[in-house]
Amino acid sequence: MISDLMAFLFNGTLQGAVLALVAIGYSLVYGVGHVMNLAHGAYFMVSGYLLLTMATYIIPGFTGFTEGVENLGPGILMIVITLVIITIIGALSYLLLIKPLQDSSVGVVLITFALAFFFEQLIMSTEFGSETWSISEFKVFDGNTKFLGTSFINQYIFLIIISIIIVLLFALFINKSKLGKSIRAVSQDREAATLMGINANRVLLYTVMISAFLSGIAAILFLPGGTIEGPHMGWTYLTGAFAVVIIGGMGSLFGSVVGAFIIGFVGSFTTVIMPLIFVGFPGASWKGVVPLIIIIIMLLIKPQGLFGKKEVE
Amino acid sequence: MSKLKKVLNEKITGFPSYIKSWVTTFNGGLTIFILLILAILPFLSMGRRTFIRSLSLALIFCIFAASWDFLTGIAGQISFGHAIFFGISGYLCAFVIKNQAWYVSFIFLFIASFFCLLVILPKKRLYLFLIILLVGDLLFLGFMFVVLLLDPMWFAIITGAVGAVFFGLLIGIPSLRFKGPYLALGTLTFNTILIKIFLMGSLAFLFFGSEGISAVPKLATDATVEFFILLISMVIIFIIILHISKSKFGTVLKSIRDDEVGADASGINTTKYKIHAFMISSLFAGFAGSFYALYIGAVNPTGNFGMINSFFVIIMASLGGVATISGAAVGAFFFILLEFFLIEAGLLNWVYLVFSIILIIIVRFAENGILRPALERIKDLWDVLLGK
Repeated sequence: MISDLMAFLFNGTLQGAVLALVAIGYSLVYGVGHVMNLAHGAYFMVSGYLLLTMATYIIPGFTGFTEGVENLGPGILMIVITLVIITIIGALSYLLLIKPLQDSSVGVVLITFALAFFFEQLIMSTEFGSETWSISEFKVFDGNTKFLGTSFINQYIFLIIISIIIVLLFALFINKSKLGKSIRAVSQDREAATLMGINANRVLLYTVMISAFLSGIAAILFLPGGTIEGPHMGWTYLTGAFAVVIIGGMGSLFGSVVGAFIIGFVGSFTTVIMPLIFVGFPGASWKGVVPLIIIIIMLLIKPQGLFGKKEVE
Repeated sequence: MSKLKKVLNEKITGFPSYIKSWVTTFNGGLTIFILLILAILPFLSMGRRTFIRSLSLALIFCIFAASWDFLTGIAGQISFGHAIFFGISGYLCAFVIKNQAWYVSFIFLFIASFFCLLVILPKKRLYLFLIILLVGDLLFLGFMFVVLLLDPMWFAIITGAVGAVFFGLLIGIPSLRFKGPYLALGTLTFNTILIKIFLMGSLAFLFFGSEGISAVPKLATDATVEFFILLISMVIIFIIILHISKSKFGTVLKSIRDDEVGADASGINTTKYKIHAFMISSLFAGFAGSFYALYIGAVNPTGNFGMINSFFVIIMASLGGVATISGAAVGAFFFILLEFFLIEAGLLNWVYLVFSIILIIIVRFAENGILRPALERIKDLWDVLLGK
């Protein structure tokens, strides 16, 4: 019983930490520019495949962080290159595609959708195809830790700690730095911020870059512990981020973090606790459905989310 | 009623002349010309069955894309989950025709028509509602019974389409609270929920699991016959959709698309009209789904509910141009024929990549699609040729 409870808490925290990293950027982009970026899940997916490509072709000698000190250099190099590339992809997708169509909401939805579809098909057409791949050599820590009779994967403990640190740093950045202040200003009132001399388009560009960077970090931390499920997994993370943002409220940083942990714990509850209550309940197959049902219910009851501001149409 | 009679009278008495005057206009002449080319194409293909089959698939997707264009282009409700209606109707149609479950579909038709009438009819007069419900349902069931006796295939197709309307209602009513991009992601979410539920092994006794239903009878054994059945259905459905979008109802929908607050302020019941748009769109998507199930001869969750179907239909309609119903047909033919030739050229893995690039270019640089600019060019050429 106690081990089930621990597994439930751990899984929930893990899912929540990953979703928080993915959803913060998504929510911020919507708050700043009213841009619903459907390519956001693709950033996560592309980062995973970038790591896979580099580990397979470009620096093939890399055997893993835990295999010795000589691997440290190439490993960090690959991670840095991945983050740089994904940030550039974010910047280009804003400059080339989103910015020219910013005024029509249908146009933005269609073009970001097209971009996500393009990335999915680009990877499908390479030799990676739709198969499952592993990048476990990027694990920073190997093995498990036993605690109260339950074993926890070390990489995931590392992920949770790092993601908490990143979220805290990010909150500090948004609240204290100059760019963070201008991001908040634009998301509160775009016109007034423009009148105060803030270049709103430039701020939106930085926000999209930050969002791509954060989902890249989420991918680099999370995917080595599990598997790359194929190019379609971007959509899963997109709907996950969407669920989080719907619960927490569009454009609210605190709301996104709370929403991510709610979604994480609900998912964990379905997989771990529900089969204990109802014997034979297929938790794993319902795991993907429950957050989606939460989205629908939430949209019907409280469309602006728990911490979102009421939108004036 | 008298107005309807007058219009009907006009159409019947002046039957050949208004068709004649329509054919002599540029649009009418071009339409007839293209339809003639389409009708000849199967005979020109020298009995190459795969080519005729591709053309049939293009016709099915024409209907599907037109239904999406009606909802998104005309009514302004962005749907990213149109495969819901496509899949539901395919499953219903396949189930009914495979298991000969006529009684099931009669029960289902009754429930569906009850809910549809509940939405369509005025609720103020309850007795009127009950009378129309009773008489209308009896007439409808009688009609379906006749269809069943004549051709069970069409019975299954209509069952699928009506089932899709029912789901259009179920999804349309909650979706009315979403706007713009929220609606897009909301419908995408509905689509994901349905595909996951249909894939679930533990619910396989209800929804047939990941295997789906196989060995469904085909629409016709001969590919050319199938093509002509689909061509005629597509032409009829296009005439209906075009008429709806050009009628007063379509104008109201366009006003909701352009300015919802303004439409509300001018006394239009936007909720009612949006639900009706959802229902009409899902009806035609349902026809397309039924045809697709019978065309493939099997249904399974990824093939029928797959989000890729929702995406294809967006690509096709955007290619032709959003809010031009005929553009959907152009896009569908372009898409399917390009796919056919790319596969012929041995570039199977690159097909969808090419499409996604085309979609990006079209949305980015030609928001109005390719149909309208192309038509203008052809019209200019035509005028030059005629010396106007």
